[in-house]
Amino acid sequence: MQRKVNDVGGLAGLTINREEHDQTFFEKRVDAMLMLLTSPKVKAFSVDSLRRTIEESTLDDYSKRGYYDKWLYAIRQLLVEKAILSDEEIEQRISLIKHSKR
Amino acid sequence: MTDFQANTRHPIFNVGDLIVVKSGPPEVHCRTPTYLRGVSGSIVQIMGEYHNPSLLAFHKTSVSKIWLYRVNFEQADIWRKYSGPNCDTVAADLYEHWLIPA
Amino acid sequence: MSHPDHHDHNHDHDHDHDHVDNTQEPAEELRHLEQALRELLDEKGIVTSAQISQQIDVQDSRTPSLGAKVVVKAWVDPEFKRALLSNPLETINKFFGMSISTPLELVVLENTPDVHNIVVCTLCSCYPRMLLGIPPAWYRSTDYRSRVVIEPRIVLAEFGTQVSDKTEVRVSDSTADIRYIVLPMRPVGTEGLTEQQLEVLVTRDTMIGTSVPNFIEQ
Repeated sequence: MQRKVNDVGGLAGLTINREEHDQTFFEKRVDAMLMLLTSPKVKAFSVDSLRRTIEESTLDDYSKRGYYDKWLYAIRQLLVEKAILSDEEIEQRISLIKHSKR
Repeated sequence: MTDFQANTRHPIFNVGDLIVVKSGPPEVHCRTPTYLRGVSGSIVQIMGEYHNPSLLAFHKTSVSKIWLYRVNFEQADIWRKYSGPNCDTVAADLYEHWLIPA
Repeated sequence: MSHPDHHDHNHDHDHDHDHVDNTQEPAEELRHLEQALRELLDEKGIVTSAQISQQIDVQDSRTPSLGAKVVVKAWVDPEFKRALLSNPLETINKFFGMSISTPLELVVLENTPDVHNIVVCTLCSCYPRMLLGIPPAWYRSTDYRSRVVIEPRIVLAEFGTQVSDKTEVRVSDSTADIRYIVLPMRPVGTEGLTEQQLEVLVTRDTMIGTSVPNFIEQ
C-alpha cells in the first residue's frame, strides 16, 4: 500500500537542519488566518480537512513548498470546496492586486 | 478525561491488552502511520472518545465517536534492526478501528 | 526499511533537502494569494483584518516561557505536580489564571531516571503551541519526523543529548491531536536557585525532549 506524502515515520532522512528564524509577517498572517478559519466561532473547515488536502499533494509539491505555502494553497482549496469563496473571485482579486500599485 | 454515559458504547480494549495494528484497508486521511501497521503493542491508556478524523477531513460533523488509545510498542518489534537498547519504545495514539486483539 | 547514512555531514545546507521555511519574503504569487484571500474574507465578514491582527498578538504572546513556568512550578511544588500529571489543562488554567484549550487533550510526560521522553508528530507537526509557541522549523521537518522514531538516540546525540542505555527512550508520536509536553528532570545541584533562575534552565527543547536542562554548579 502506497504511503501518503506526509507519512514519513521511519523513512531515510538527513542530518536535521536546526537553523531557526523568527516567523515572517507573511507566516504570521497565514497562521492567524488558519487559526481563525478553523476556530469554533468561524468553523469554515476543520484542521483535519487541511491536513487531508496537504496529504494529497504531489511529492514534489510536498517537499519543495514551504510549510506556510502549503497551508495557504490548502486554505484556498478548502474555501472553494466549501463554496465560501469561488475560484473566479479569487483569481479576479489576484489580478486586481497584480495590476494595481498595492 | 472520559465520561461513560449510559448510551455510549464502551471501549473494546482495556489497559494492558495486547493488540496488533491492522495493515489496512487504505483510509483517506489516515492517522495510523505505516511504520506501525502490522506491529504488536499494548494498550497503556484509554484516551477518550473522539470524532473520526477521516470523516472530519471531509467536513462531516455529525458523526458518532470512536475510542482512542495510547499504545506502547517495543522498538525491537517495529524495526528489523533497531540500533538502540531493548528497553526503547514508541507510543502512539490510535483509533479503535485500526486495532485487533493479539 | 533503509537506514540513513551517518557519515559526518558538512554544515553546508543541501538544497535537495526537503524544504525549510521561508526565510525571506515569499514569491509574488503567494503574496498575492494571501492578500487576495485576506481581503475577500474581510469584505465578507468571515475573518476581519482586526481579528487577524488580534490573533497575531495572541500567538506572539505564547512563548516557551509559559511551558517553563509550568515545569518549574512542578519542580518546586509537589502538590501542583501531582495535579498537573493527572489533569494537566485544568491544573494549568487554574494555577496560572489562563483559559487555554487544546483540540483534544494535553498530556504531560514526566522524565525519570528510567524513562526519557521525546515528542514528534510524524504525520504533520502537532505541537503544544499554547504552551511553547510556534514549533521550530526542525520539528516540522521531514528529517526529524522520519528519523526520530527509528533512531531516536542518534537524533538525541545530534542535539548533544546522551541518554544512558539503562534508561528507556520513549518516543511519543502525536498521531491524534493529543498534545504532549515533556516535564524534564530537575538538574542536580539546583536546590538553591530561585524559580526565575530555574526557568532559564527549562528551554523549549527540554520540553520537546531533544535536550535536558543543563546546570553546571559553580
